[in-house]
Amino acid sequence: MSLKPKRVDFQETWLELKETVNAVITLGNVPRSTWNDRFTDVYSLCVAYPEPLADKLYLETRKFLDFHVKALLEKVKSSGDNNLLRTYYYAWTEYSQGINYLHRLYSYLNQQHIKKQKLSEAEIIYGNITPGDDEQMEIGELGLEIWKVDMIEPLESKLVKLLLEGIHQDRIGESQSSSSEIIKGVIHSFVGVQEYRKKDKLQLYKQIFEAPFLETTGEYYRREASKYLQECNVSQYMEKVTLRLNEESLRCHHFLHCSSYNAVRAKCEEEMVAGHLQFLHSECEAMVTEERKNDLKNMYPLLHAVHGGLSFLVNHVMLHIRQQGLNAVTDHYGENMHIQFVESMLSVHKKYKQLIQDVFQSDQAFMSALDKACSYVINHRPNSKMPCRSPELLAKYCDSLLKKSSKGLSESEIDDKLSNSITIFKYIDDKDVFQKFYSRMLARRLIHQQSQSMDAEEAMINRLKQACGYEFTNKLHRMFTDISVSNDLNNKFSTFLKHDNIDLGINFSIYVLQAGAWPLGQANITSFTLPQELVKSVQMFENFYHNHFSGRKLTWLHHLCQGELKLCYLKKPYIVTMQVFQMAILLLFETTNSLVCSELQSTLQLNSDQFNKYITSLVDCKLLLSSSESITADTTLTLNMEYSNKRTRLRITTAMQKESPQELEQTVTAVDEDRKLYLQAAIVRIMKSRKILRHNALIQEVLSQSKAFAPAISMIKKCIEALIDKQYIERTPNSSDEYSYVA
Amino acid sequence: MKVTIKSWNGVATWRWLANDDTCGICRLAFDGCCPDCRIPGDECPLVWGQCSHCFHIHCIMKWLNSQQVSQQCPMCRQEWKFRE
Repeated sequence: MSLKPKRVDFQETWLELKETVNAVITLGNVPRSTWNDRFTDVYSLCVAYPEPLADKLYLETRKFLDFHVKALLEKVKSSGDNNLLRTYYYAWTEYSQGINYLHRLYSYLNQQHIKKQKLSEAEIIYGNITPGDDEQMEIGELGLEIWKVDMIEPLESKLVKLLLEGIHQDRIGESQSSSSEIIKGVIHSFVGVQEYRKKDKLQLYKQIFEAPFLETTGEYYRREASKYLQECNVSQYMEKVTLRLNEESLRCHHFLHCSSYNAVRAKCEEEMVAGHLQFLHSECEAMVTEERKNDLKNMYPLLHAVHGGLSFLVNHVMLHIRQQGLNAVTDHYGENMHIQFVESMLSVHKKYKQLIQDVFQSDQAFMSALDKACSYVINHRPNSKMPCRSPELLAKYCDSLLKKSSKGLSESEIDDKLSNSITIFKYIDDKDVFQKFYSRMLARRLIHQQSQSMDAEEAMINRLKQACGYEFTNKLHRMFTDISVSNDLNNKFSTFLKHDNIDLGINFSIYVLQAGAWPLGQANITSFTLPQELVKSVQMFENFYHNHFSGRKLTWLHHLCQGELKLCYLKKPYIVTMQVFQMAILLLFETTNSLVCSELQSTLQLNSDQFNKYITSLVDCKLLLSSSESITADTTLTLNMEYSNKRTRLRITTAMQKESPQELEQTVTAVDEDRKLYLQAAIVRIMKSRKILRHNALIQEVLSQSKAFAPAISMIKKCIEALIDKQYIERTPNSSDEYSYVA
Repeated sequence: MKVTIKSWNGVATWRWLANDDTCGICRLAFDGCCPDCRIPGDECPLVWGQCSHCFHIHCIMKWLNSQQVSQQCPMCRQEWKFRE
């Protein structure tokens, strides 16, 4: 067989071809040899000599298909309304497959003749050129187009009406399973018939089916919703709606094209949820306060889908958590207040976090509501004149866990509790106040060797560092290093003593601390005559220290020193740990059994405040007996020779080791001073970089920089005034609320 | 002896014994550290010259290294010698 163009008789070839085309389109039996021959015929026609007959072939084929589809239409119409969908569906299945085969039979025509004159894909999608009416289409496309024009368009209204009816039957549960396949097939034929298109593939489907479908769906569910409204309360309503939504989306997946899923769901939600928001919201408050988990679980997805539906619920959840939190943290008094406060707040937080996870799928909006509520509760001040106590209570809580005495808790339990306390810490506004309290308590633990374990201390500091940054824990770290540096120093000192053959007569160790890093006020320093027994060790150490470190000045903090004393004058020997001041007092009784207060005080040179405090502590623990109820200058103190205690090792605590109200006040004022300095530094930094700034802009920048606390606007204003006085900044001459930096 | 001391633990603080509050080079407090350090204390010590002026060690070293000709105290222009 030759591929050379030759003279072809069109009529004759077409008659033969037409027969095969008919067989192909009706899925009849076409032997392979016939197929091959006809394939070649298409080729010969296209390349015929003297002129190609491709256009003629195209026209004839179109005429044939037109005729064929019109005949099918008559057949479908004549089957009657009841069978319309079924016959249409069968005709479509046959035709769509047949046209697919036919397309292949005409491959040569499609490839060589038609493709060449078509617009390219890019031209159609990006250009504004639309294919003209007379443009030739590939045979497959042509067939589908003819189907659309000759079959779908005349039947459109009837088909759609029947489809909608069929789906309605399905909704009310009266459909036969056989018809559902047909409905699905017919709907998809609207998509299939335009699938070849490069642009607007779904145009027909959307126009003739989706739009009316959405409308009837909306109407149907509007009616359903109003029916439910009359017979149900909110929680039943939600259950029904959830059920219907799920059913409808299943139905969608079954019948419709995937592009419609979201539109249908949105339509249903609009009718059943958005239209009745007020009804749903009316129960929100009760649901939240009673914590009806099931109802809330149903409510969440419904409201979530509707724009602006959720915020109402979120708000109620926040108010509820806030109320529960306030209930949990107020009304704690006494010794264990800090433990109750922290643990009940933690349990509230844990409970609602869990609830949000379970019920609201950890939705971000609810999480931030939880945060808002917790931070409100934790920073709540019952009395606006009093500072918020949370930072202090939390610091105390940590202190009670890190101290030696925490009862019966295993290391891992303590560790857990400490890491939980960070949750509360993050909500605290006045983190600097917490830091002040924490560092005071840490200092006390370190100096009096009361820490449970150094590892736990360090882990806690690291947690704070993680939560609040390096600056925040800087001083705490320095305190820590001082203790270990001091250990080295003690070792060096004892080698020094050994080397020089010096005997101090007593065991001596020391903490040398950096003055700036420790929260040790100068307020408690008092004059004091050191007992003779201790003088040597102090002198030797000072010698040693100045040899090692030149240019440093040591200040002894005797009120923080403590020692171990052996009492030999009683029936059995006791070993007592006490403050150095108390030691000094007891040492004076060496030569006598009773002394008058004024005498004692003049020997010791202590100020009367401190003196009274330490005398009282010794009287309280019954080592000394006092001649009068309160301690005055004339009171005579006598050694209690009858003292006895079950334990032979004991520790005398004094008021010193507990936080006094004055100290509390000091802490608050110290924090205030620090804040002022911090704010002034921040203002100078900002002004230095900006040169000129308006008042409000400056305030905003300062607010955004202070992370450790929320400064009061009035305080910022005062700091600005102070800086103007100090001539760091000045008001600009032409504007009243603008400042400029003075270099 | 009625009472004997078995042991005692002293507590003391230290600060620099400088003739000024701030370093003459970086103008930051001696109680703090030089601009290149983050933690004051042993990591950022002070040094004294024989002229009795003192600086953060990091500050004076930087100064001395930048002087090509002679090593002088930046305050009094005397020859700089470390005081032992």
